[in-house]
Amino acid sequence: MKINFVPGTLEARIYTIFTIMVFAAIFIMQMVFFRFTMDTVRSSTLENNHTLLRQLVVQIDSYISSVERITRSISGDRDIQNFLENDGFVDPGETEQIRKSLNNYIKAREDISDILIVYHDGTVLSGELEAEVNPWVSVLDMDWFRGALERNGQTYVSSSYVQNIMAGRYTWVVSLSREIISEWTGESLGVLLVDLKFNRIEELCRSLVVGAKGYDFILDRDGNYVFHPTQQLVYSNLRTEPVGEILALLGSHQGRAFKEGDRYFMVETSGLTDWHIVGVSHDSDMITDWKYVQITYGFIGLILFLVVGLATNRISSGITKPMHRLQDIMKTVEKGEFHLVGEIKATEEIRELARDYDIMVGRIRELVAANTREQELKRKSDLKALQAQINPHFLYNTLDSIIWMGEMGQNREVVKMTSALSKLFRISISKGQEIITIRDEVAHVQSYLTIQGMRYQDKFTYLIDIDPELHDYPILKITLQPLVENAIYHGIKESEGKGFIHISGYARDENIIITVKDNGAGMTPMELEDLISGIETAPENRPKLSRQGMGLRNVHQRIRLYFGPQYGLSCESSLSSGTIMTIRLPLKEWEA
Amino acid sequence: MKNWYLLLISLMAALALFLILSLFYGRNTQKSLELDSPIRIILKSLDGEPMDFWDVVNRGIDEAAREFGVQVVVTGPRFEKEINDQIDIINRAIELSPPMLIVAATDFKKLVEPIKRANKLDIPVITVDSGVDSDIPVSFIATDNIEAGKKAGEEMKRLMEGNPRKELAIVSHIRETATAIDREAGVRAALEGMNIIGTWFCDVEQEKAYKISLELLKNENLGGIVALNEVSTLGVTKAIEELGLSDKVIAVGFDNAIQELSYLESGILKATVVQRPYNMGYLAVKTAVQYLSGESTTPFVDTGSILITRDNMFRREYQELLFPFGQ
Repeated sequence: MKINFVPGTLEARIYTIFTIMVFAAIFIMQMVFFRFTMDTVRSSTLENNHTLLRQLVVQIDSYISSVERITRSISGDRDIQNFLENDGFVDPGETEQIRKSLNNYIKAREDISDILIVYHDGTVLSGELEAEVNPWVSVLDMDWFRGALERNGQTYVSSSYVQNIMAGRYTWVVSLSREIISEWTGESLGVLLVDLKFNRIEELCRSLVVGAKGYDFILDRDGNYVFHPTQQLVYSNLRTEPVGEILALLGSHQGRAFKEGDRYFMVETSGLTDWHIVGVSHDSDMITDWKYVQITYGFIGLILFLVVGLATNRISSGITKPMHRLQDIMKTVEKGEFHLVGEIKATEEIRELARDYDIMVGRIRELVAANTREQELKRKSDLKALQAQINPHFLYNTLDSIIWMGEMGQNREVVKMTSALSKLFRISISKGQEIITIRDEVAHVQSYLTIQGMRYQDKFTYLIDIDPELHDYPILKITLQPLVENAIYHGIKESEGKGFIHISGYARDENIIITVKDNGAGMTPMELEDLISGIETAPENRPKLSRQGMGLRNVHQRIRLYFGPQYGLSCESSLSSGTIMTIRLPLKEWEA
Repeated sequence: MKNWYLLLISLMAALALFLILSLFYGRNTQKSLELDSPIRIILKSLDGEPMDFWDVVNRGIDEAAREFGVQVVVTGPRFEKEINDQIDIINRAIELSPPMLIVAATDFKKLVEPIKRANKLDIPVITVDSGVDSDIPVSFIATDNIEAGKKAGEEMKRLMEGNPRKELAIVSHIRETATAIDREAGVRAALEGMNIIGTWFCDVEQEKAYKISLELLKNENLGGIVALNEVSTLGVTKAIEELGLSDKVIAVGFDNAIQELSYLESGILKATVVQRPYNMGYLAVKTAVQYLSGESTTPFVDTGSILITRDNMFRREYQELLFPFGQ
């Protein structure tokens, strides 16, 4: 079946509209779902990251508070308090004792780098037994010293820095310092300093990081970096952090998370240290799997689209296929064929349509058949009427001849001619019957020839040579007479000399062949062709024809009407050698 | 097939769907550079102490590799003086046809040959810290040593004001090294018009620098020594400390060994010019990534240098530069 993909066809229209609609639907759905998935993944990742960040804050706080307990227990230590109270510095033995006990605290924990007690005069008592105090440091100016004094016995937590208090040592530390206050007098005895190696906090910050590009950094209360994994990049401006924004955020109440570029910042503040711990998550880390999600979505969309596309195709062709069949069958009507659709596989509507069409075609068929019958009847009756007409000229001439012969007293001839005329009429009428025996037909033409022979004396002779066995076979009445009339008027009458008409009849191959042969003028090929086409053409299509032509056509048409199209009249002729008319009839017994 | 055209339309539409989706969301995902094999980085030495110059360079490299999502392999000879070892290592790295070679050249001239080989095989080369005598490298990431030398020289000039001793000496590390040449040029440019009595080379041996200094310090007119690298600086300061001349002879050095910082604190060393090795490593990889991504790169990237004195050495922003984490 040919497909013409014109938007006008139903199939194409259904398909196009469906395709566009499904495409749009899938597209929108994918977009919405993808967005949704992205947002969900992002927000849940951020939520996770936030949880991690809080955990980091808790860990840092608990770590710091565990160290704070140490500072409390040292500053409350009886021996130390006594020692400080009594200005034990003077006694080297006691000093050594205190330093050893401080050293024990250092040894107890790996993460403590040093524990010091600093007097108000700047004298330093270190728990590190081997180390010497850096002579270039002025302890009293250090942040941790002043911070501790400001807090009146509360622990001061410094930012991270390089501790250079011991000569030749530079250690990254976070310091916890507190003023040692006498439990008896309430006087300030000095400042206790616990230096924590910064590694622990650094490790914590580095470990609780999400994604390949995520990181955490810590700001102190003034916005200075306590820790940043890439501090050098930050300080040389190769990487910038929105510190101002973060600090502004803390002042306001707009929540503690924001996005800058493709980085997400979350801030949690540690209550113990006043540090702002900032967790940074990178968008690309959250969407590492999104490429996969994207491909999956695309693939699902593709399959969905194909499935729907095929289904649409099935539906549309399911509708249009029977319609195409219906259409094809209906088209045969143009060629005059009335085919029935019959039972087809289709929807109820189409089947209904097909049934109705079949009923209609049935009706039309009946009507056409009836019409054909009527037409035939009409033609038959027309022909009947025609054949019944006796050429009035002939009758007039014959009667004229009779009168003339009567006047001449030729009684025998008058009787002969009158009786022949009477016989002619009797057979012509023959009780209104259409079919007569060949015998009667021969008698009829015999009578005609008798009359004509008497009228055209010595003009022609004739011979009727019909196989007697054929005499009882039926023939249409008045078939031979027009042929003989034609032979006389157009053959013999036109030629010089004596004419001869030979009528012969015989059976051959289930056919009766009767030929009427004259030796008259004959016809030119053109005339012959004209005559043959005139005979073959139906009278309604070619009403104008010579009387003789009409007679011959009448015979031909009647034979075909009664016996079928394979029978009828044929004609051969050539100029000056005469004409042979041949009638072909079925060799068929009479039917009751 | 009767449905060929329907199938075609389906496929086309599906493809369009797919493409549009990809396009639409493609821009949300940052494209990271995809490399077939890791970038090969050959440094001057690997066997150094933790926290020394090359270790910090390595940290910068690691950070950049993490940030840009590229793979790097760092190798190098054990010691800086093993030039032939480094050439062998580069040749072996070339065999692996990496997308990029990053080289810290141990020799300005001898390293030209292997870099030419890499260039023939279409392997781009970036030099870091020390360059080579060639135009082949697409970029050179290093301290601007002339600028660094100028900083040292200017500080020296400032400190020399009012010093009765007027003569100055320079102690350098190696005669033919680009860093030594550039730094000396910078120092001399800044000290224009002052009395520089000469340049001595210690061949990267602290002991030799120390001995040279002891000789130099016998000169009663010598008021200042500029030492051009870590080893030289340590040799010079050790001599000054031992002779107790820190009030009379001003020492300005380079680099930030712990011992140097200690001398700085105690005033024996008046100032030191430090580089940014971390940034060097970071920017080397960053430039490599930019070059491989088809972005434009500049032939020279200055990683910067800072003059550190006793007053600013404990400033917050210099602390990590001088005392890297994890010490």
